[in-house]
Amino acid sequence: MILNRILETLQTGDVKQIAKLIGQALDSGMTPEKVLSQGLIAGMDVVGQKFQTGEIYIPHMLLAARAMHAALGILKPLLAESGNAPAGRVVLGTVQGDHHDIGKNLVSTMLEGKGFEVIDVGIDALPEKFVAAVDETVQIVAMSALLSTTAPFMGKTIEALERAGVRKHVRIMAGGGAVTQAFADSIGADAYGADAAAAALLAMALVSHAKESR
Amino acid sequence: MNGKERILKALAVGQADRVPLYIHGINEAPIIGIGRHITEGLPEVKDFRKMNDAEKFKMLDTLFLIHETFEVDGFSAFEIGHETALDDQYIKDEFGVVYALSDFGLPVAKGHPVKEASDLARYAPPAPDRGHLLLLDLARDRFKGEKALFWLMRGTFVRCWRLMGMENMMLKMFDDPQFVHQVARMTLDYSLAQLDLLADAGLDVLVIEDDIADKNFPLISPAQFLEFVNFYNRRIVEAAHQKGLKVVRHSDGNLWPLLDILLDSGYDGLNPLEPQAGMALAKVKAYCGDRLCLLGNIDCIDLLPNGTPQEVDAAVSQAILDGGKGGGLIICSSNSLHPGVDPDNCIAMFEATRKYGCYDTLSQP
Repeated sequence: MILNRILETLQTGDVKQIAKLIGQALDSGMTPEKVLSQGLIAGMDVVGQKFQTGEIYIPHMLLAARAMHAALGILKPLLAESGNAPAGRVVLGTVQGDHHDIGKNLVSTMLEGKGFEVIDVGIDALPEKFVAAVDETVQIVAMSALLSTTAPFMGKTIEALERAGVRKHVRIMAGGGAVTQAFADSIGADAYGADAAAAALLAMALVSHAKESR
Repeated sequence: MNGKERILKALAVGQADRVPLYIHGINEAPIIGIGRHITEGLPEVKDFRKMNDAEKFKMLDTLFLIHETFEVDGFSAFEIGHETALDDQYIKDEFGVVYALSDFGLPVAKGHPVKEASDLARYAPPAPDRGHLLLLDLARDRFKGEKALFWLMRGTFVRCWRLMGMENMMLKMFDDPQFVHQVARMTLDYSLAQLDLLADAGLDVLVIEDDIADKNFPLISPAQFLEFVNFYNRRIVEAAHQKGLKVVRHSDGNLWPLLDILLDSGYDGLNPLEPQAGMALAKVKAYCGDRLCLLGNIDCIDLLPNGTPQEVDAAVSQAILDGGKGGGLIICSSNSLHPGVDPDNCIAMFEATRKYGCYDTLSQP
């Protein structure tokens, strides 16, 4: 079945092949939503599970991410035409003073792999930059820090969101090499993602919980 | 025993008169913070590169003084003068890698001169400069054989990803493995040439600094590690041993999936054994403490920045109990003494090593 072939090709990172398979799926009358959910998202779920268990490593994640981005490049215009809403909107960035971006980029890919729209505020992002990116359509703010010296800026960012009066409208996720569950708790974050795959699962849970709470 | 004898004994997985103490790396802020307990006239905390000559001299003298006052048994030297300032925010090293300066840690590689195989044709690799070994010369002259002289040499993975960009290197392992091997070979040639200079300059211990893991897993697969990294690092280990040097492997993170490979590679020591990454000292000691010396494990993520001196004292005591039996343990922090550590806690770590590390006391029932 072609969706299985998309799922498997995503893991090998073959950009040309995945574009070809998506074209075939669409030509056969399959909806872009179905290709996304049962091909790409399912494929990224497998990639995430293998990453979390140490079956594959960051290079393999990057390979899958490259194929995922190529696939989304084809599907996104079609999804927009059909009025398909994203799973949620996430403001994502590496906090002030920290220039590391691989972890953040992997989180971005895994979030997109779950159907989220990601607003990437980049690296060395000041608290004000996170605040500026938050509007009423954003459900989650996700922050990354690799260094123990920059992790405290996660707390500063939360304080800035509070001062701007938007803290209560968003759920906050923290992750990265310098962050632990205890640290995330201490700064008032709502969730801690131990790795990129865990972050995407958490985002799904947070959005789902928010919908149920309404 | 003097510090050098103590370190070399431990690196031979032997038992010295006491557990040796070592500082792997240290930033400006802790040098100044610790230094204020033992000297005056220190500059305000700022990047070493932005200090004037008098301030730089004072910093180096204070670094030496810290090692003497607290009886640190080994001294880590590293390259000086290999970087060129591009402006207030960026520097470039001898390989042409551009780094963004940071107030919160080491400079971060941002500009990578060898991204594609075609770049190699235009790229002229540097040759090691004897002048960049100045800190080793100063330490040798200051300590006069009383302390072991370590050199922090970047390993194959770090040198390669800085030249190529990390994500790019990881993808090139699939797309163009031959290119990755070419770059790795080029860095090996540099490292071996620098090793000749280091051995002639009186080095005792080479530290291959090659961060390859985060707190969860290695950054690349064991197979990729064997092919693209360890093959080349092993050549450095063999060359260093031929010159009579000891070799320590440094990498942050969870090294368990790579540990057997590292054990087979001939290293004399392993550093820094991050507790948050599953590298519990007792567990590592039980697994391979009879095969190589363990250096590190005093938590610099939480304990040294946020703990109390009493908690540090207890952690050092526990580490010596966990890893000291029979020798083969060198106490140091679980990574560098970075700007976030509390100077009082660093001093507590130094003093506790003396307090609990005497093997005569340890061997008593």
